Amino acid sequence: MSKTDIDLIIGGPQGGGIDSAAQVVIRSFTIAGFESYGLREYHSNIKGRHSYFHVRIKEEPVRSLRYPIDMLVCLDGETPFVHMDDVTEGSIIVYDSDFENTKLEQVVTMEPETQKHLREKFQSLKVEPVVKNLMEYQKSRGVKVVPVSFRKLITDTLGQNKPPARYSNTLGASISMAMLGLPADITKSGIASVFGRKKEVVEDNEKIVDAAYKYVDSLGIKVNKLNVREYRERFMVTGNEAVGIGKVLGGLKFQTYYPITPAADESFFLEGHDYFEEAIENQNEQLRKTGVVIVQAEDEISAIAMAISGAMTGARTATATSGPGFSLMAEALGYAGINEIPVVLTLYQRGGPSTGLPTRNSQADLLFALNAGHGDFPRIVISSGDAEEAIFDAVKAFNYAERYQMPVIHIMDKVLANSFYVIDKVDSSKIKIQRWILPTSDTDEYLRFKFTETGISPMGFFGKQIFWLTGDEHNELGHITEDPETRDAMMEKRMKKLEIASKEIPLEDKLLVFGDKGAEIAIVSWGSNKGPILDAMEKLKAEGIKTRFVYLRLFSPFPSKEVAEALKGAKIIIDIENNYSAQAALVIKEYTGINVNKFILKYNGRHVTEDEVYKSIKEVLNGKDKVVMTSGA
Amino acid sequence: MAHNFKTDLWVDWCPGCGDFGILAAIQQALAEYNAKPENYVIVSGIGCSAKTPHYVNVSGIHTLHGRAIPFATGIKLSNPNLTVILDGGDGDLLSIGAGHFVAAGRRNVDFTIILHNNGVYGLTKGQASPTLPRGTKTKGLQRPNIYDSLNPIALALSVGYTFVARAYAFNIRHAKDIILRAIKHKGTAVIDLLQPCPTYNDINTKEWYDQRIYYLDQDKEWDPIVRKPEEEEVERKYLQAINKSLEWGDKIPVGVFYQNEFVPTYEERIKQNFPNYFEDPPATSQISKKDGSAVADMENIFKDKIVRK
Ligand SMILES: Cc1ncc(C[n+]2csc(CCOP(=O)(O)OP(=O)(O)O)c2C)c(N)n1
Ligand code: SF4
Ligand SMILES: [Mg+2]
Repeated sequence: MSKTDIDLIIGGPQGGGIDSAAQVVIRSFTIAGFESYGLREYHSNIKGRHSYFHVRIKEEPVRSLRYPIDMLVCLDGETPFVHMDDVTEGSIIVYDSDFENTKLEQVVTMEPETQKHLREKFQSLKVEPVVKNLMEYQKSRGVKVVPVSFRKLITDTLGQNKPPARYSNTLGASISMAMLGLPADITKSGIASVFGRKKEVVEDNEKIVDAAYKYVDSLGIKVNKLNVREYRERFMVTGNEAVGIGKVLGGLKFQTYYPITPAADESFFLEGHDYFEEAIENQNEQLRKTGVVIVQAEDEISAIAMAISGAMTGARTATATSGPGFSLMAEALGYAGINEIPVVLTLYQRGGPSTGLPTRNSQADLLFALNAGHGDFPRIVISSGDAEEAIFDAVKAFNYAERYQMPVIHIMDKVLANSFYVIDKVDSSKIKIQRWILPTSDTDEYLRFKFTETGISPMGFFGKQIFWLTGDEHNELGHITEDPETRDAMMEKRMKKLEIASKEIPLEDKLLVFGDKGAEIAIVSWGSNKGPILDAMEKLKAEGIKTRFVYLRLFSPFPSKEVAEALKGAKIIIDIENNYSAQAALVIKEYTGINVNKFILKYNGRHVTEDEVYKSIKEVLNGKDKVVMTSGA
Repeated sequence: MAHNFKTDLWVDWCPGCGDFGILAAIQQALAEYNAKPENYVIVSGIGCSAKTPHYVNVSGIHTLHGRAIPFATGIKLSNPNLTVILDGGDGDLLSIGAGHFVAAGRRNVDFTIILHNNGVYGLTKGQASPTLPRGTKTKGLQRPNIYDSLNPIALALSVGYTFVARAYAFNIRHAKDIILRAIKHKGTAVIDLLQPCPTYNDINTKEWYDQRIYYLDQDKEWDPIVRKPEEEEVERKYLQAINKSLEWGDKIPVGVFYQNEFVPTYEERIKQNFPNYFEDPPATSQISKKDGSAVADMENIFKDKIVRK
């Protein structure tokens, strides 16, 4: 095991504290001065079904996850089966020996299809599908297996009165950290930082940490020694939280939502941070208390309608949703378009169509985001690929919405939403807030849709000016008109703003080119694939394979010239996306005429990893036109 | 000079349409209420009735079919200091927008809903609306209506509206008085505004209403107002209103059915967590410093996200 590049999975039943275990691991390693990144995977279920947490720890910033993993911690009898192929020679499995006799067919929480696939695998391996036998098989291929009786260790430590199931998450996490060589006091700090205010819980869990470390010592199974690095203050946030933070820094004042996975956690997080104190000027002691109004609407139609109309009072407003909710918002999106209303919609993609894979990843809503709503209207569509980008993009979304007076769709995905990132503080001085153009005169009659050179009319607000808005085609005042000339002029006015946006938005917000800019192999991708691709590129480079990566950030207005420029001279263009139809490649073709000729796609709802991108690119270079990535449990 | 509440547009309703009366009543009520003209916003959905905002010289937002309530809610909650009035058809508010109509009762945002009740979908040429009784055959229908009708007053009461009234489009002065009372009411007010549609509804005509309507406030005994914040008083007034709402046919009551100002508005509920909400509402709250940088500070607001040693 490499000392400073560790992939760890902790698996157990949904509702069994996997989330806290994840936090303990990430926080402990952060306190120890390491970098980490982790992802939660779970079913659309509250209690019982398999869930797991995959984290990678390094000295350098972590951008992706990787298989095979170094360590698997199984809190139940299902995890050893589900993740049997995630480990390899040299990996470690820590498992609860109380489940030793669990047979595959006894795992009732497992879906029948998964059971069937696993049964077939066991048949071909000629291994009995029982945890015990599985562990023998793992040993036979060089995996180190560490059985731990969770029940015994917990009751020996805390007595009979505490339910062992409540502590197995910390125990599993502690054993793994003890084996990885993290000092016990740091693991305890990690525990304290997760369970913070609950004194008894912290104390109990600290006892569990001690027991775990003693157990590992007594068996002499420590596999690593980590040199604790310098601690510095960091923030641990999910992608949902990053967007929430970005929105608040960017001046969000009114957010609406209807609960849906994986978007709702953003609004839920905001509800916990909706009243606070802030200084209005630099070097100004004067603090004021202020708030953000967050409304749980009766449905997504209402949510977007409220956000749209709220923006017409001068507030920065936003909504957040996912596929099914976004489908309901389509009509209102066009309303914001024709009425030139600055509204921000954060779209967390999940597996579709319909309810699809509600808790799994996808990038299949790109074309819908670009086209949702009837009729022609301008919109800005941006996409983020990690937590830091998400923070700044949330601010930019507001700036664009107000500057160009149109709806902005900020695309995220499930992997981004549910990953844990450890980031530095974003200084408020780095957040630039740019707002609308206001009318220059208070005395002239106000024309909400005044024709101007740029197509951008001075913004007016309810409570300030008198004007009208209508979903019908309208004149400059905002009254209904079906006059053909005015219709043409209004259509052109609205669409012209996209050209202005195209000119003004800086290149780095349109796309980034990584790697070897002149390489003949070009990769195009977007969103959460950024990290795994960057990591895979380094591996390829080490082998002498040069690549360039055109990472797309702005999809509307589409930066055709810039994309064409970035792809110039490429012999092989590989599109990597989490959807079936290679949507970004279709967009590139539509706007630049460039044919992407190789495809690496994934639509099983699971995250893309460094190793599978690496492997898939190799397959493409060996002549395959299309690779479907299938990893992930 | 007094503000002119009429715009100079030609009003494009059919001659004899009840909406003319409602429009006049609104214009008079706004003049009499006397807020700053910029502080009014009229919100509508889609339908004949939904054109109302264009004819009133205050800000207007003509929105989507069925969605006037959420649009109005967004405006009022972003700037609780505005006076918001909503116009919607019976199809708009009670069919496609019925979910919002129910949610609005539970929120009690301080605005006024004027329900243009004409029994039909005017703008789509006379299909049955949710208030048209089963068995009725208006002239736009191929055969008698096979849906049961709903009772807007009883529905509003049952989902928590705190001001429920009925008015009649062709008694402008009375309708104006009811609208004014609704605007002054603290909480969501709904007015079931009986609106003849001479083009498509040949049953509920002006003559039909003129023969049946009577005024609740002419009855000295009638007291629709909840006088004390006590359960028993609320229940008595509520049941009285429900009972009254069942009267339809030969005699149709018009006036205020129920009013309860003891229910906190949604804005007051927000204020519980956000004490200076009315003084520093979303609409006008400062978000950037003079140099354009953010006022909000990550370390201060999101300190719980810091990984501390
Ligand atoms: C989503 C949607 N569906 C259908 C329509 C077509 N439409 C326009 S007005 C209307 C009905 C209007 O009836 P009502 O709300 O009672 O208003 P009235 O015209 O009677 O005042 C319908 C169905 C629409 N505009 N939008
Ligand atoms: S169709 Fe009916 S409701 Fe519409 S304008 Fe004509 S009379 Fe009025
Ligand atoms: Mg109608």
